[in-house]
Amino acid sequence: MASSSSSGLTFKLHPLVIVNISDHYTRVKSQLNLPPSLTSTSSAATSNNNNNNSNGGENNQQKPPRVYGCVIGVQRGRTVEIFNSFELIYDPSTRSLDRSFLEKKQELYKKVFPHFYVLGWYSTGSDAQESDMHFHKALMDINESPLYVLLNPAINPAQKDLPVTIYESELHVIDGVPQLIFVRSSYTIETVEAERISVDHVAHLKPSGGSAATQLAAQLTGIHSAIKMLNSRIRVVHQYLVGMQKGDIPCESSLLRQVSSLLRRLPAIESEKFQDDLLMEYKDTLLITYLAMFTNCSSTMNELVDKFNTAYDRHSRRGGRTAFI
Amino acid sequence: MNSVEGLVNQIQGLSTTASDVLSLQKLLKQADDSLHAESTRLLPFLDQLDPSKHSLGYLYFLEACTAGPVTKEQAGSYVLMIARFITSCIAEQIRLAPDKFITVCKRFKDQVLLLEEPLRGVAPMLTAIRKLQSSSEHLTALHPEFLLLCLLSRCYKAGLSILEEDVFEVDQPRDLFLFCYYGGMISIGKKWFRKALELLHNVVTAPMSTINAIAVEAFKKYILVSLIHHGQSPTNLPKYASSVAQRNLKNLCQPYIELANSYSNGKIADIETYVEANKDKFESDNNLGLVKQAVSSMYKRNIQRLTQTYLTLSLQDIANRVQLNSPKEAEMHVLQMIKDGEIYATINQKDGMVRFLEDPEQYKTCEMIEHIDSSIQRLMTLSKKLNGLDELMSCDPLYLLKAGRERQRFDFDDFDNVPQRFNI
Repeated sequence: MASSSSSGLTFKLHPLVIVNISDHYTRVKSQLNLPPSLTSTSSAATSNNNNNNSNGGENNQQKPPRVYGCVIGVQRGRTVEIFNSFELIYDPSTRSLDRSFLEKKQELYKKVFPHFYVLGWYSTGSDAQESDMHFHKALMDINESPLYVLLNPAINPAQKDLPVTIYESELHVIDGVPQLIFVRSSYTIETVEAERISVDHVAHLKPSGGSAATQLAAQLTGIHSAIKMLNSRIRVVHQYLVGMQKGDIPCESSLLRQVSSLLRRLPAIESEKFQDDLLMEYKDTLLITYLAMFTNCSSTMNELVDKFNTAYDRHSRRGGRTAFI
Repeated sequence: MNSVEGLVNQIQGLSTTASDVLSLQKLLKQADDSLHAESTRLLPFLDQLDPSKHSLGYLYFLEACTAGPVTKEQAGSYVLMIARFITSCIAEQIRLAPDKFITVCKRFKDQVLLLEEPLRGVAPMLTAIRKLQSSSEHLTALHPEFLLLCLLSRCYKAGLSILEEDVFEVDQPRDLFLFCYYGGMISIGKKWFRKALELLHNVVTAPMSTINAIAVEAFKKYILVSLIHHGQSPTNLPKYASSVAQRNLKNLCQPYIELANSYSNGKIADIETYVEANKDKFESDNNLGLVKQAVSSMYKRNIQRLTQTYLTLSLQDIANRVQLNSPKEAEMHVLQMIKDGEIYATINQKDGMVRFLEDPEQYKTCEMIEHIDSSIQRLMTLSKKLNGLDELMSCDPLYLLKAGRERQRFDFDDFDNVPQRFNI
């Protein structure tokens, strides 16, 4: 059911939507508490509230739950920008959509974001399915051409792209019968500064224990790689200029002009006061690092000496831990 | 005789490649006793061997030669021979038989002392150390011998290069004690009191299972040097000193402790009377010079105390407060201290006023930054070494035994009402 869309619309997806969908899915999944050894009765007991699964107990263990919701945003001309999303309760087996809830939510969002419209809906899964078309059609009275955002929750470490696909519906003639089918569309990710910061924060908190040290190391690694890249680019320019000087490469004045204008932008500030302040700050940072290293070393040394004394000192004093009360 | 000649031939033949040298070493080990038996007649054979090529064989022969008692005339020729050998031998071959080499060098030192020309031994001994060391962080048994020669010949500068290196590996604990003690004495001789304090501190806080004389002597000097350098005596040994040292050292150095106590009172007259009273004790320890230096440093200490109270002071006032005889003497003292960088002040000669200033160092210069940077680098390497040592220590079975035993007793989670072992 996928081929590339021909509608000519450009889609822009905000990361908030992706985070929302993933959060919804994770929440439902963890509340469902899906260990493999769980018996059917207890799983039926836990699977009562907050899940959107169609069937009863046994199915919960095999299939991960699917979650549903709406996406909202703005459409300006040919650009569709998806800003936010909210959750819905939908039961695909009975195909019952809670309309009143949807309308109430719409009203609330309208009050806060008057420009946003319901652009479509989202769900989780590996691929778009036939049953999704019903939901799609149900939404068509709100938006004549809704979008379908699909998130694949399976974690594939080899995969480089985001596991998010956006589908549009198109009317195609298949076997003489006009049918609506899903066609894939491409999209770009668009962020606002505030969003970028929070997403960055969330992204760096999670992996490898997420201690403060890891965050600091991650930030410094970022700066380090940026500087490395700058260094390599400068080397390329340098090599180019040397080659030009030797005569291996033909002279190109426009490039030379660009290089010279770049060079003339540095140094940005040059004054004695600046040098003074720079050295002061540099010295302060160095001293703090020195102090940190010192403390680190001293504590290691202290532990080492303690261990040594415990092991080898014949009449070691145990510092007050002599009598057993 | 035949065996010795055969040995000489084998040495000449087998001294080229590394594997040959190894097999040669086995042969020599077996023939060692026979060599010692013929020690008196080995001298002419030494001429057939070339020390720069047949170092291992030459070493064995030399060691057997010098084994017996040595007269003064023989000592002269031996000294020349050994010095030539040390300068020309091959380091890799020597390291195969380190104890023999150490014995030869020690005999060399004895002979040099017998001839009463310690200066002749300084340079060859330094070369010997460099050839024996596997790395610059390795302390061999030759280090203290070398420092002793430096001390006796008053050639302090030569010992400097050895003292500057950081030591991480030690062969024998006695080497470390002697090395640090002699090093401390050399530093005192050159008036590098900070370095002396560091070295003597190492002796006093080194791990020891029983008290030893080197530590006692070092502690006496340690008290005196810290009085000169810091103006305070070390009241308690740090926690990481061995318990043996903490208990016994103070009792064995009683006069020095009392000297330190009267120093802290600040009255010059008291301390001078005390020194007069116990002069012979200090003299018998060869510490009288140091004691006199400590007493004279008291003036410095008092002047420094003045900088903390006053911004300006007249020379006459200084002389009165510090119990000096005249303003001229006070001016001399202050001038000397400014030159040594111990205080920051300006003397106004017109009205005889001294104005005390703050430390002008802003630490903003590039040199200072480089200095800090290099210190950080040094600390990083040290930290890595420490972590390695710590891991080694954690796996030590003796430590695990004792640590495990303790933890079992004092784990309150499984608190037992009946104690396993009752200690009173």
